[in-house]
Amino acid sequence: MNAVLNELNVPIRSEADLVTARLRGREIASTLKFSSSELTLIATAISEVTRNILSYAGSGDLDLRLVRQGQKVGISIVARDRGPGIADLFSAMQDGYSTSGSLGLGLPGSKRLMDEFDLASEVGKGTTVTMTKWKM
Amino acid sequence: MNRSRAPILKLGETLIASVQEALMDADLVGLRDELVAEVKKYRATCVIIDVTVLDVLDSFAARTLRHIAQMTQLLGARTVIVGIQPDVAFAMVQLGLTLEGTETALDLEDALSRLKIRVGRERSAQ
Amino acid sequence: MANHETLPAETSISREEVLRRKAFLEFTEDDVAVLEGVNDLATQYAESMIEDFYKHLMAFEETRTFFADPELLRHVKEMQKAYFMRLTQGHYDQEYVANRIRIGQVHEHVGLPVKSYFGMYCFYLRAVLKRLREEYGEAPEQAFAIFNSLMKLTFFDIGLAIDTYIESRERTIEGQQEAIRELSTPVLLLRPGLLLLPIIGLIDTRRARQLTEQLLRSVRTNRAAVVVIDVTGVPSVDTKVANHLVQTVEAARLMGAVSIVSGIAPDIAQTMVRLGIDLRRIRTVGDLQSGIEEAERLLGYRVVKERPADGQGEKEGP
Repeated sequence: MNAVLNELNVPIRSEADLVTARLRGREIASTLKFSSSELTLIATAISEVTRNILSYAGSGDLDLRLVRQGQKVGISIVARDRGPGIADLFSAMQDGYSTSGSLGLGLPGSKRLMDEFDLASEVGKGTTVTMTKWKM
Repeated sequence: MNRSRAPILKLGETLIASVQEALMDADLVGLRDELVAEVKKYRATCVIIDVTVLDVLDSFAARTLRHIAQMTQLLGARTVIVGIQPDVAFAMVQLGLTLEGTETALDLEDALSRLKIRVGRERSAQ
Repeated sequence: MANHETLPAETSISREEVLRRKAFLEFTEDDVAVLEGVNDLATQYAESMIEDFYKHLMAFEETRTFFADPELLRHVKEMQKAYFMRLTQGHYDQEYVANRIRIGQVHEHVGLPVKSYFGMYCFYLRAVLKRLREEYGEAPEQAFAIFNSLMKLTFFDIGLAIDTYIESRERTIEGQQEAIRELSTPVLLLRPGLLLLPIIGLIDTRRARQLTEQLLRSVRTNRAAVVVIDVTGVPSVDTKVANHLVQTVEAARLMGAVSIVSGIAPDIAQTMVRLGIDLRRIRTVGDLQSGIEEAERLLGYRVVKERPADGQGEKEGP
């Protein structure tokens, strides 16, 4: 299990929160001295999962956590919503799959940006994306 | 309206939209609509969108930029996206966003020289 | 706490980690009590223990060299005595751990081999066992209990010490890797607007990322319009590496730069086709010379030979 060193919650209610989420993500991740390109990868992944919350559930929450696992430290991002959930998890992770008219790169793309990625969803209950980037 | 966040300048037959701060989705969509309308209105042949200040270009932003390029193309104008930062370009390709079919240039100066728009010479010739 | 901060980040062990280690060794408050109980006894035989200990060390060439200087030997004996006494003084807390890590770092720093370190601990345990047998000849159960507790604590110490060895090696390797990576990714400015990225050796994900980052930064700082990526020196390519190459080319294009890949070896070409890499997205040429020529053409340069090369020119001169 990961030990949590620091945690920050960003409520996602409207589009304006998307910019806030990216900013907060950069701020908290930069305390671990991630390189500037890693910070951009993190901010981009945050943007994608936050966008997912906004377009499918309307609102939700983003937890930004600095975590430690053994000797390594990293940032863990948990995007939670109580939206309709995803019926077909397999398809949701395929490039180009979208039910909202987007490019469908959000979830599979975010997975490529981060080191660890986990998607849990229950139809009618909501979706939780947990993704982690370790400091190399 | 996005006027303050991404003002559009007119330079001959070229429209230059320079993004001034992080854009919200509505701003981007506003910019798209505005650009398409102005290309038509001024019979512009080139559109340059300067995104130097953006520190993230996610799938929505990339899609909107591509749409702008495609729409203006239909109206007879070519669009060049300029100023994508190294870190942003790196993140975009990791995400799978390559802006295929869209022209890119290093910065405004680079785009203007590629489009053979020489501001200084035009003026001195007059 | 201030002390704790000055340790290298890798060796600072959290309170939770200390508890985990103790739990795994089943080192409990009972053990603490047992060890504290023999503090007086330990004080009695500390002196002779340490003398025996160094007699043993001095009997072997490999360890003798570390204590050649008599002044140093006197000093380390003092330190050793303090270390030994500390084993039965209780309070096996963060400060204890920090002290043990420091001792490990000192031994690692002077280059004491791990095998000697283990040998020294073994001698320690055997020497203590011998004295416990003498002291508790009538009550072997008690001797056994004391030895048991001491063994747990000793292994706790060994764990900390060996960690410092491993971490130091890891830091060294990491530093070397970093140096190698930096040496191996030069981005050269050939002409205004033209960059050359010669890739030599194997590429892993980490190096590929670094290459890409460095190239993209150079595109910006040099205002490059064309990049030649020469892979003549790359011995093999797998799907990952090929994808990195494609990504690098695409990222450079997002910044407005055209990439030309040169020097793809025949077997790598075969691999790439078999892997189904989309080559339409990469502009390729056979060798580096063609790559540079193509780049110059794109930039509008025309290279003209004005006169024979210097060597020949001199012969024809007056």
